[in-house]
Amino acid sequence: MTSRVRLSLVLLVALTLHQSLFVTLRVDDAHPQVMLLVAVVGGLLAGAERGALIGFAAGLLADLFVQTPLGLSALTFALVGFVVGSLQAGIVHTAWWIGPVTALLASFAGVVLYGVLGAIIGQAHFVSPRLLLVAAGAGVMNAVLALPVVRAMSWALDSRPAGAYAR
Amino acid sequence: MAVYRRTSRPRFTLLLLVLTAITLLTLDERSNGLGIVDGARDGAQDLFAPVKSAADSVFRPVTDFFDGALHYGQVTAENDRLREQLAERESAMLQAADAAREREALLDLAGLDFVGDIPTVAARVVMTPASGFDLTLSIDRGRDAGVARGMPVVSGGGLVGQVIDVSRTRSTVRLLTDASSNVGVRLATTGETGVAAGRGAGSTLRMDLVDPVTKVDKGETVVTSGLQNSVYPPGIPVGKVVAATTATGALQQDVTIEPTVDLPRVTFVKVLQWSPAR
Repeated sequence: MTSRVRLSLVLLVALTLHQSLFVTLRVDDAHPQVMLLVAVVGGLLAGAERGALIGFAAGLLADLFVQTPLGLSALTFALVGFVVGSLQAGIVHTAWWIGPVTALLASFAGVVLYGVLGAIIGQAHFVSPRLLLVAAGAGVMNAVLALPVVRAMSWALDSRPAGAYAR
Repeated sequence: MAVYRRTSRPRFTLLLLVLTAITLLTLDERSNGLGIVDGARDGAQDLFAPVKSAADSVFRPVTDFFDGALHYGQVTAENDRLREQLAERESAMLQAADAAREREALLDLAGLDFVGDIPTVAARVVMTPASGFDLTLSIDRGRDAGVARGMPVVSGGGLVGQVIDVSRTRSTVRLLTDASSNVGVRLATTGETGVAAGRGAGSTLRMDLVDPVTKVDKGETVVTSGLQNSVYPPGIPVGKVVAATTATGALQQDVTIEPTVDLPRVTFVKVLQWSPAR
């Protein structure tokens, strides 16, 4: 199976899990943002360029199932994947906790960025005092899910041993 | 030169992706609910519907477990409230005949028999809001069942929202608490009309345009006004007043409404096959 097929499979499984399971695990409007997590891990494992591409694909898939402006998640996730990918070059790749910590910080930043970009294109209500709480909640939950997602993405990208981040 | 290529290519790719995303955003904004963007969304939802249904069945025990665990306090409180309601209902049944007649008369008087003869389509909620930014529900009935854009959606407690997107087998309902939702309403007691505007997730509604001299009681029922060209038929319960204040010199009251329907937990709804042109 080629890397692209495996990656498509992982994206579809992530989308299914997000739509059927993770959106229901809601604590005060915060829930895991697994498609954003895929973008984060894509950047972490595959670098800036592929991270941006994976983020764009994950965001576009997510956009098809919500009524927020189409392309907003794609734009946000691509930027997040790119930034994480750009920063990962300076990271020591053996520590298991890098995945969860990166997921925590990048997911928080991603949700805030989503809200800010939404406000810029006319969705002013995206930015509210609750945004930081929702972003923090999503960051924590994504950090919990980071290890299995790192394993799945390692398998999909076939670019790094699964044990590098997820032991 | 080689170094230049290595450093610039990811940025060039990102630039292309950003431009593509901006193009999509522009197309979405310009299509206004029609065209290729909504066609893509409808197609994706139809295509994904069987997978999602199967996944829902598989994950339901897990989601039920987490729902109970995450909302244990709420579930316990709801259980207590339901027990209390049951006791009240049993007591009320003993006074059935006169009370029922009186209640029917009051309901007719207040116009709360909101469905009336409007044809309805019963539907199950298959997806709650997929993000905190998107206060919409997905229901398992679409164009094939006679659902169309703009139709009001209600549950047993009252107004839930409005259909904003329809595919063959699914529909998307914008909740009345969404920040872009505005509902023409009136106070059931005084008949004072106004507009109930959503304020986003977890929030109450704000009723605008209420005259400062109008007496607004806490707990008063607010229903859809159904004024000419309104997108909702008249008399659908929207919420109850939880607070009403008037700032000095203000031209209108600050009225806060709590929806009668527990929107985050609604599971079954009815789509009213109604349009303003009726």
